[in-house]
Amino acid sequence: MIGTTKKPMTEILQALEGHDKVALVGCDGCAKVCLTGGTDEVAALSKDLEAQGKQVILEVTPERTCNVAKADPVLKPVQDKLQEADAVLVLGCGGAVQITRHLTEVYGLTIPVKTGLDSVGHMDTLVPGTLALEQCQECGQCILNETGGICPVTKCAKGLLEGPCGGAQDGKCEADLSRDCAWILIYNRMQALGELDKLKRYMGPKDYSKAARPRTLYIKEGRVT
Amino acid sequence: MKLTELFRQKKSVITSEVGPVKGCVRLNGGPPPEFLQEALNIKDYVDAVNITDNQSAVMRLGPLAGSVLLKQYGMDPIFQMTCRDRNRLALQSDLLSACSLGIDNVLCLTGDHIKFGDHKAAKQVFDIDSVQLLHIARGLNEGHDMSGNQLTKATNLALGAAATPSFKPLDLHLLKMEKKVKAGAEFFQTQPVYDPRHYEEFARKTEGFGVPVMFGLVVIKSPQMGRFINDNVAGIDVPESLIQEMASVPKEQYKAKATEICIRLLKDIAPMCQGIHFMPFGWSDIIPTVLAEIKPYFPK
Repeated sequence: MIGTTKKPMTEILQALEGHDKVALVGCDGCAKVCLTGGTDEVAALSKDLEAQGKQVILEVTPERTCNVAKADPVLKPVQDKLQEADAVLVLGCGGAVQITRHLTEVYGLTIPVKTGLDSVGHMDTLVPGTLALEQCQECGQCILNETGGICPVTKCAKGLLEGPCGGAQDGKCEADLSRDCAWILIYNRMQALGELDKLKRYMGPKDYSKAARPRTLYIKEGRVT
Repeated sequence: MKLTELFRQKKSVITSEVGPVKGCVRLNGGPPPEFLQEALNIKDYVDAVNITDNQSAVMRLGPLAGSVLLKQYGMDPIFQMTCRDRNRLALQSDLLSACSLGIDNVLCLTGDHIKFGDHKAAKQVFDIDSVQLLHIARGLNEGHDMSGNQLTKATNLALGAAATPSFKPLDLHLLKMEKKVKAGAEFFQTQPVYDPRHYEEFARKTEGFGVPVMFGLVVIKSPQMGRFINDNVAGIDVPESLIQEMASVPKEQYKAKATEICIRLLKDIAPMCQGIHFMPFGWSDIIPTVLAEIKPYFPK
């Protein structure tokens, strides 16, 4: 999922300055899991905005706002309400905001689309409702087969491919002593699997052209450009 | 001169480290900056002087300028190069520049994490890492860049690497050291350890690599410094007993005590390594005394 955190109310109000009628669009996908933009959070923010003198004229929460197939069927029927609004505030990831903006353009509406959240990465839920970890950064060149299913590109604070830096202390990362050194985790895992020899291989520099942004995925061809 | 030449002559190589100033250096007849003065203090006692690269992620004068300055004063610099602040184009370009400016030695490092420094919001680069930098630098020595393009003239740099004898698990660190050797490392400079038995284990396990290892020694100048290192510097563990030993003397005797500790430690460790790399943090003036005492203990 895409992890999100709530922006402070002061920042939201700043974004909505001069926009009194607000349409709220949440996301019952990732943002719901993060407790930042599901149906409940949209309702709560609606109350808070009303308390701040805003008029919330629409509350909708598509199942996956980042996906036009899910967002369009929810937003299309409420185009009139969107048109009436001074601004749309999206409680979703950056993708959800941009898909919403895209759909308003498709509907022929020129209306500011704002975000109420900060996107903080591709997150994997470890303890539902409590803890999610960043474990993959979609580099386009997965090396998990070589590293015991633990990604050093993401989980090593320096993204090192050839082994640990010298900074680990008692198995913890020099950059954050509450976190395990990714390379020690990899070493222990490969030792348990009897595959330590694999770690001796020179991995070589990463091909960052595969992660050059913005990428486009052609789903049918399985092609990325 | 390339350090590899000295190792070939079976010399016990002595190096020391200085950290460039945070500021521009234009001498114009004025006094030399602190780091240059520190290097000049030991010019006749060391074979080469390391110039750090934005050490601890604190922005300073660059190591290339610092290295050139040392050359101008008749010293051999070891140009330290980290992967934190430059991508593969900039690193290769700086290696070409270093060699063109007469630098013979480079120490290829990953670099401290940006969080330790004074620009914590900066984007870390780490496009490549220390093993890959060694591999790439060897390629430049062979006359081609990392994309395989021919150079008009190859570099001729002795390639050094870092090692951390206190790393746990040591076998994982040794695995990385082996990769560095295969990638092109021609000598190692270690982080310090303050227990000779600990170093002995490390020396035994690395002697088969066939690459000279220089023991690195950070001079502990006060009990406070020992504690600061333990709390803030990755990869160095200063034992409490050493901190207490420093604390057992009045402040004005710290330098004498630090000198005594260095001599004691190096008498045990010098026979097990191919050279000593001092990190004196401003106290380079103790190096001549230390060297005079430990010279008989170098391997014959």
